[in-house]
Amino acid sequence: MKARRVAIVGVGYSQVGRHTGLSERHHAAQAAIAALDDAGLTAADIDGSTTWGGDAIDFAYMLGMSPLRWHLNVGVSPAFVTPAIHAAMAVATGQSETCMAFRIMMQQPSSATLATGGAMLGATSSEDTQFLYPFGNFSPTQWAGLMMNRYLYDSDATEEHFATFASIQREHATLNENALQRTPLSPAEYLAAPYISKPLRLLDCDYPCDSGSAVIFTTEERARDLRQPAVLVDAVSLSAVHDMNFEVMTDMSHTAPAHCAEQLWSHTDLRPTDVDTAQLYDGFSVITFQWLEALGLCEPGSAGPFIAEGHTRLGGSLPVNTDGGACNVGRRHGANFCIEATRQLRGECGDRQVPGAEVAVWANAVGPFAGAMLLTGA
Amino acid sequence: MTDNPSPPAVVPTSLTAFFWEGARAGELRIQRCQACGMYIHLPRPVCRSCHSFDLRGEAVSGRATLYAHTVTMKAFHPFFVSRLPYAVATVELAEQPGLMLMTNLVGVAEADLRTGMDLVVTFEALSPELTIPVFTTAASIGASR
Repeated sequence: MKARRVAIVGVGYSQVGRHTGLSERHHAAQAAIAALDDAGLTAADIDGSTTWGGDAIDFAYMLGMSPLRWHLNVGVSPAFVTPAIHAAMAVATGQSETCMAFRIMMQQPSSATLATGGAMLGATSSEDTQFLYPFGNFSPTQWAGLMMNRYLYDSDATEEHFATFASIQREHATLNENALQRTPLSPAEYLAAPYISKPLRLLDCDYPCDSGSAVIFTTEERARDLRQPAVLVDAVSLSAVHDMNFEVMTDMSHTAPAHCAEQLWSHTDLRPTDVDTAQLYDGFSVITFQWLEALGLCEPGSAGPFIAEGHTRLGGSLPVNTDGGACNVGRRHGANFCIEATRQLRGECGDRQVPGAEVAVWANAVGPFAGAMLLTGA
Repeated sequence: MTDNPSPPAVVPTSLTAFFWEGARAGELRIQRCQACGMYIHLPRPVCRSCHSFDLRGEAVSGRATLYAHTVTMKAFHPFFVSRLPYAVATVELAEQPGLMLMTNLVGVAEADLRTGMDLVVTFEALSPELTIPVFTTAASIGASR
């Protein structure tokens, strides 16, 4: 079976915000319609549907898409990159002509609600969580705290580097009218924010919200006739190196992104030095640090100094998370990085455009599993 | 909601009961493959090294080194509200390189925590039914005796 070249031709968001009151289906519908409009396609053109969040089949039927030749509901997996890669693979193998990938995410209960028993996260212990919950370990912020603690030990990074990172991301968000957090943030303000799971601070966490994102994949050939400049999928990689118990990983500073990046570069002639902009998951900021190193975009252990030197800032040698990252645009679980990479390669990012961007990488997740996609402009 | 919230309920399975029985008896037990000797944590029905199904909980030394720690400042469950702040840690057990256990650190000031430091197991009863293995320094154990 000969693989076909795949392009991203449409991207869209729902009305993203804090406790929007809209359902999963509502967010899916808004995002899908926005992506179709962006591409200049109709629902009848879509014959594949993949999602994390909700039901891909339900969304497709609700929107009047064609009978599906491909569909997937993702369970626990590396964020949006999983439905995205599966959509791209369906098109590459000819199972689908035009496939829509969704990430629909509803805002989760706050720590304050959980602490009062207003919602129960740890009510019953499963076979694995019984080794976590009795120790007061319930939240991803805690494995992220472990990971960040070990990363500070293993690398050249300092907490001040994390402060600079947060400040730069916010600087980018001020140039993005769709970001939820747009007030400039100084490194001192980051350092003054409370710890959640020390050394992890509040501003190391992505910003909780309701979000719906949709991205349309089709063949390169089909893409030529559509509304937007085609953005081509050059390489993909989807890795797993451990079961889902982040807390007992043996090397927390070199996790799945390291393996994933190695695989990604093995599928392409492009090299890390060819990348013009990187959109790297920041569910917790330490994840972006790991990806910078894993992808070979900076030296091992040097992401902190690399950021402090200004390389990742717009105007720097490698602008990173140019939409402001999920810390500022809200928790879109990786889809924002795909959409921002696509828009950068189309050249439609206005004040935050990376001039002449031709190659972009976006990547999701950390720890047990990870996924990445390398994109090129047409 | 009550004034004295209960700790998270642990429902041991045939695979995990040895761990909780051991903790109540003041013994840290880790699953070990009886065919190849490999320790496995978290417990699984099969050995990931030799595929033997002959696995059993065995007492280990309780010695470990500190791999990573995080000081929890926000509670995500009512029981832990009164315990804030508390340290969650990943420790590497002495028995086998890469044999990691997630636990709590007790009896050591945060400022004295050092990655790689030697630790020993001790036990804390959270309720009449539930005892957990936690880690501290040998000096701290000596001081409390």
